[in-house]
Amino acid sequence: MKRTFTINLGGIVFHIDEDAYDLLDDYLNNLRIHFKKEESAEEIVHDMELRISELFSNRLNERNQVVTLKDVEEIIAQMGKPEEFSDDESNNENESNHKTQENKGVKRLYRNPDNKIMGGVCSGIAAYLGWDVTAIRIIFIAMSLPFFMNGLILLNWISIFYIVAWIIIPEAHTAPEKLSMKGMKVNVENIGKTVTDGFEKVDNYVNSGKPRSFLQRLGEGIVAVVGFLIKCILVIAAICCTPILFVCLVVCFSLFLAAIGIISSLPELFYVSMPFVDWSVITSSSVPTLLLSISGILVIGIPIVAFIHFLMSTFGNWQSMSLGTRITLLVLWLIAIGVGSFFMLNFGIAAIQH
Amino acid sequence: MNVDNVRSQMRKGMLEYCILLLLHREASYASDIIQKLKEAHLIVVEGTLYPLLTRLKNDNLLAYEWVESNQGPPRKYYSLTRDGEIFLQGLEESWMELANTVNHLKRKQNLLL
Repeated sequence: MKRTFTINLGGIVFHIDEDAYDLLDDYLNNLRIHFKKEESAEEIVHDMELRISELFSNRLNERNQVVTLKDVEEIIAQMGKPEEFSDDESNNENESNHKTQENKGVKRLYRNPDNKIMGGVCSGIAAYLGWDVTAIRIIFIAMSLPFFMNGLILLNWISIFYIVAWIIIPEAHTAPEKLSMKGMKVNVENIGKTVTDGFEKVDNYVNSGKPRSFLQRLGEGIVAVVGFLIKCILVIAAICCTPILFVCLVVCFSLFLAAIGIISSLPELFYVSMPFVDWSVITSSSVPTLLLSISGILVIGIPIVAFIHFLMSTFGNWQSMSLGTRITLLVLWLIAIGVGSFFMLNFGIAAIQH
Repeated sequence: MNVDNVRSQMRKGMLEYCILLLLHREASYASDIIQKLKEAHLIVVEGTLYPLLTRLKNDNLLAYEWVESNQGPPRKYYSLTRDGEIFLQGLEESWMELANTVNHLKRKQNLLL
């Protein structure tokens, strides 16, 4: 038994199976997207709807009253998928017709905002590797499952990796970014495909021909449930942490104000507060001092720059940082912390011994 | 360079010419045109035709009128406009020229495949 819909296609009423309806709807949407840049896109699609309706009518009779998935698949094969007739299309302005050959561009790692459960990290990785998103998500879930069992929702390698990835991998905002996420060439034609709600649907139509297997559906189901659970946990955690966060914020702010005061009187303060330290050890060795000050500037400066950049790219119109920049900054910051603490310790020990 | 690409380029150039040629004799509706083009192996998928027809119509080479049909909704019957006739004439000439050129070359080189 199957559920059917009643549709009006080109002025004729058809009964159509639910799955067949979904496929047909996807197909027509893809046609609309494909012809978007044409002058009379609606008219073309309407004409094609009329033709499809005619083809349906020819197939139906007293015994077959319902349009089935098979009918729709065969008619799509007859009408052709957008990529099949794009080749014959006359593009007078340019001769960039060898789509399949020239369509490959440089692939970059982005987070995918159109298909995400948390930050779109898995989705972006999947696009980068050309794998199925569900597969990547299942791998992530499977790897972090043992930790979850122990109640370590956030404090485990997988989650930390995910959060770090979330921070350093930029999200694909613009059409060109989305294209390079998929490794497609950034040109006018491709961008045309992605405008407005395009990309998600372009995604769909790649898969629209093949119904999803049971395994895929099962995987998607699992991913949806686990994603929902994680979100719930995070929301609860966020609610619990709000007062703490608020206190932290206040403390941070007052510390920040205090820091300004302290920095301005830093040398004196050190001198006064630690009379047992022989400061000449530090001031006399210029190279470590230089290194120490540089790392100090980096340790404090990088988060500030990153934060300002984050604010400006979220609320202003700055471009978000590229993956390379993010990684470089993170590595620099870690190095600065390492170098800083190393010299601090050394100095501390040397100065006290002195 | 591969054969399929060149072939599809050739077909692409021919397609408009052939559509105009088909409509020169009689007005017909899209499904008739598809039928004939398919018989001539000019198109593989039907979706190719619709954007072309609309584009030719937008360029004022074709016009259509709705004709009632006894087996369903009214149909769009396309026919050539005056501009279309002139355009077809031009294409006709360049086609003859092309065919002559190729034939001439082949004969000269004894390249009859």
